[in-house]
Amino acid sequence: MTQVDRNTVWQGTLSLMVLRTLLTLGEQHGYGIARRIEQTSQGRLLINYGTLYPALLKLEQEGLIASSWGVSDNNRRAKFYTLTKAGRKQVEHETRQWEETAAIMSRFLAAAEEQS
Amino acid sequence: MRKLRALWHRVGGVFAGGRAEQDLADEIESNLQHHIDDNLRAGMSAAEARRQALIALGGVESTKDAVRDRRGLPSLESLIRDFRYGTRTLLRSPGFALAGIVILGLGVGVNSAIFTVVNAVVLQPLPFADADRIVRVWHTPPQATFPGMKVFALSPANFLDWEAQSTSFEAMAIYRGDRPTITGQGEPVPVQSVRASSSFLPIFGLQPIVGRGFTKEEELEGSTPTVILSEAFWRTRFGADRSVIGRTILLDRAPFEVIGVVPAPSFLESTQVFTSLRWSAATRAVRENHNYRSVAKLKPGVPLERANAELGAIAARLEQQYPAENKGWGALVISLHEDLVGDAKVALLLLLGAVGLVLLIACANLANLMLVRTHGRAKEIALRGALGASRLRVVQQLLTEGLVLGLCGGAVGFAAAYYGVQVLVTALGTALPRSEEVAVNGQVLAFTAAISIITGLAAAFVPAWRLSGRDANEILKQGAARGSSGAHDGWMRQGLVVSEVALALMLLVGAGLLIRSLGSLRAVEPGFDASNVLTASIGIPEAKYTTPEARNQFFDRVEQRVRQLPGVEAAAWVDTVPLQGGSTQFVAPEGGPQVQDSELPTVAVRLPSPGYFHTARIPLIGGRDFTEADVLDSPKVIIVSQRTAERFWPGQDPIGKRVTLKMISPDPREVVGVVGEVKMSGLDAGVSDSETAIYVPARQFAFPGAQLVVRTAGAPAALTPSVVAAVREIDSEQPVLDIQTMEQVVEESLGQRPFAMRLLVGFAALALLLASVGIYSVLAYTVRQRVREIGIRMALGAPSTSVLRMVLVEGLKPTVLGVAIGLALAAAFVRVMSAMLYNVSEHDPRTFAMVPLIVLAVGLIATWIPAWRATRVDPIDTLRAE
Repeated sequence: MTQVDRNTVWQGTLSLMVLRTLLTLGEQHGYGIARRIEQTSQGRLLINYGTLYPALLKLEQEGLIASSWGVSDNNRRAKFYTLTKAGRKQVEHETRQWEETAAIMSRFLAAAEEQS
Repeated sequence: MRKLRALWHRVGGVFAGGRAEQDLADEIESNLQHHIDDNLRAGMSAAEARRQALIALGGVESTKDAVRDRRGLPSLESLIRDFRYGTRTLLRSPGFALAGIVILGLGVGVNSAIFTVVNAVVLQPLPFADADRIVRVWHTPPQATFPGMKVFALSPANFLDWEAQSTSFEAMAIYRGDRPTITGQGEPVPVQSVRASSSFLPIFGLQPIVGRGFTKEEELEGSTPTVILSEAFWRTRFGADRSVIGRTILLDRAPFEVIGVVPAPSFLESTQVFTSLRWSAATRAVRENHNYRSVAKLKPGVPLERANAELGAIAARLEQQYPAENKGWGALVISLHEDLVGDAKVALLLLLGAVGLVLLIACANLANLMLVRTHGRAKEIALRGALGASRLRVVQQLLTEGLVLGLCGGAVGFAAAYYGVQVLVTALGTALPRSEEVAVNGQVLAFTAAISIITGLAAAFVPAWRLSGRDANEILKQGAARGSSGAHDGWMRQGLVVSEVALALMLLVGAGLLIRSLGSLRAVEPGFDASNVLTASIGIPEAKYTTPEARNQFFDRVEQRVRQLPGVEAAAWVDTVPLQGGSTQFVAPEGGPQVQDSELPTVAVRLPSPGYFHTARIPLIGGRDFTEADVLDSPKVIIVSQRTAERFWPGQDPIGKRVTLKMISPDPREVVGVVGEVKMSGLDAGVSDSETAIYVPARQFAFPGAQLVVRTAGAPAALTPSVVAAVREIDSEQPVLDIQTMEQVVEESLGQRPFAMRLLVGFAALALLLASVGIYSVLAYTVRQRVREIGIRMALGAPSTSVLRMVLVEGLKPTVLGVAIGLALAAAFVRVMSAMLYNVSEHDPRTFAMVPLIVLAVGLIATWIPAWRATRVDPIDTLRAE
């Protein structure tokens, strides 16, 4: 039950986090993306690879990101993901949407608090 | 757009295969290495760095699975996988697969074939525009004079009154069939002709391809004789020549002008020409002679009941108006479809029910096979469950296997039906209405696909349901103690056998009743000797043989010529041979009560030549036979049948009594002889007064048609060419029709009964075979499962006879129970057959006693083989095997 909940919540937010990370870092591999998200959340989020890889695949299938094999800073072979043009637009669009939702939610929660 | 793009990728992903897998493995490996690098940098030992990284990565396989699910479409993929897996497992056990496909193929095949016929004949509307509005209009005869006859042909005057006074119909048409001879174009050929009113073809929405239809004026005498060719006849005989319009053809030597070409209505498909009525005023006034048929088209929105009520009222009025002719004559409107297929419908639906039972048995059989087999695979399936396959997936996989079997069996069945249907239609012959419309079509394919899939799935459902509900742990534990099949499974298998036996028994009871019915019908004494008799119809044109003398002379000469043929023992002629119906007329015995014509008693009137009774071996009981001296101008005489004599002159000598047959001549006729009773209108005709006969010398009526009756020394059919040649010697343009042996006439009078019987017997045998396979396979499996137990028993000293008895008793239990249930069901359902039975009770004790014995005997054989095998178990071997 809880797992299902987490997944559904994750789907949307994880996508945006991935896109946002790629916008900031440019090209990055899966491990890097996971690390970056964990750091940004100050360790409050732990990325499950069983969730991350399908999410990356989904974004790729939707044409928001593209992937190619390259060599990492560690001199290791890695699969790098980058944003596509559609992906950049999608980041802006989703960011705005998320901010709006967050604003509404916080205002709503504040109002509810005043009432009680 | 984005979703669509993703979907496209995923459908593609279903077939991505190995490259994507390798890519994913590489990516995860790279991920792991990066993590280890980081951990090392953080100062962990090599081993610790690796351990921590692996923990963080989590279950690699489940990650891969999650990606795989996202890559393709999981449900589609597993379906394809199941399909592949199902096909593979079936290929691995070809014996099982073959048995399943054959069983299903048989069950589906007979169903498809019978459905093809039922669909075309019963379910499909007639192939006409507004077919639901096309009806037939019949007379209903007075039951006192025509007991048991539901409908009767029409008389012209009554039809004209009905047509003029009714408002329910858009159009009414009257017609009758005829067999004129076309001459003047090489060989004289008899043609099938329909003489019809102008509204006949338009009722069916049939438009002339060339030329025009009949006009109202052409219904009257004096108009130019016109003819419309059927499309088929026009193509074969006239090479589809459009210039045929306006030409003249000779029908029975009279000229007819060709005015059009039209496709014949399907139920009169063999019709080659249509001629116009050209009724004289005298014909239009005929009210008491009923020999026309009618079709009509209801106005849109007029229900059948209203038309019936209206015509009924009109007929009642006409009864009052013309009591002499119309007393007791009513009217009946029924849909043309019902009229054409009504009789065959019962038999066809019965057969459909029968094959339905066969399919049920086949399904139970297959379910049993699958249950037994799945049980053998219980461990494999439990293992899959333990490895994380969900229950739904296990069920899905079993059902897919059933589906694969169903589709294969369906394909076999469809192929069988495709070829079987033609055999079926040919064998049914004229007993099947609308046979020309029977064809394997899309509906049949859909039906076949549907029943194959449903049967396959239903058969697979039983084991799937059983297995999915079981605890994997339990099965895996059981694996050690091999062969303890759950008690529950046992019940299910026995239940399937019980139902198979019960269903087969029902079919056998049905088949048995038909056999008995046909037997008692064949045992009916027809009153004549049908063996070694050839019959042939000859209709001579009155245009050529204008005088009664000329007509008599023609038949006399034919008779004499045929008598001289080698191999002929006797020859004579009569207007209609027995069993084929014929003329029924009013008779006024001298000194009888003075009543109106329509209240006079009726008898069957036949016109034989001298020697007919001798040739047909109808016994002369008293008086004399007709002689060469009974001619046109000699004293008017008759011969009566025994029951006619008892009916009119009980206890008196009928010889010398006098009766008047108004339709033959107005003068009274004297009885000169008495002959035995003959079945006039069929072997199944009841004993009724209208079946009693009066014979008038053929020469004293000089009818322009007769049937030759030839008694032969050897096989009668062999004489066909010489009889035809003999007729041609007398008149080279004279065709000879309907050449049949008298035994064929007898067989034909049985209608579709023999064929329905043979089919039902075949289906019942098939059902019994399937059921015995079911009994056998279940018991063989049980014995195999219990080999160890039996081995121990025998090691402990049980004699093989007691083992045999034990297995036999167990094996026969479901058979006996099935027989009991089947008998009860059969007793409850035989009522549907009553219409097809003759002189046999639907609860015929002999059938109900014989059939269970047969089933038990077959069941015993099917049980005996595995039981006997059980006694051959070597106790040492089985114990060692553990």
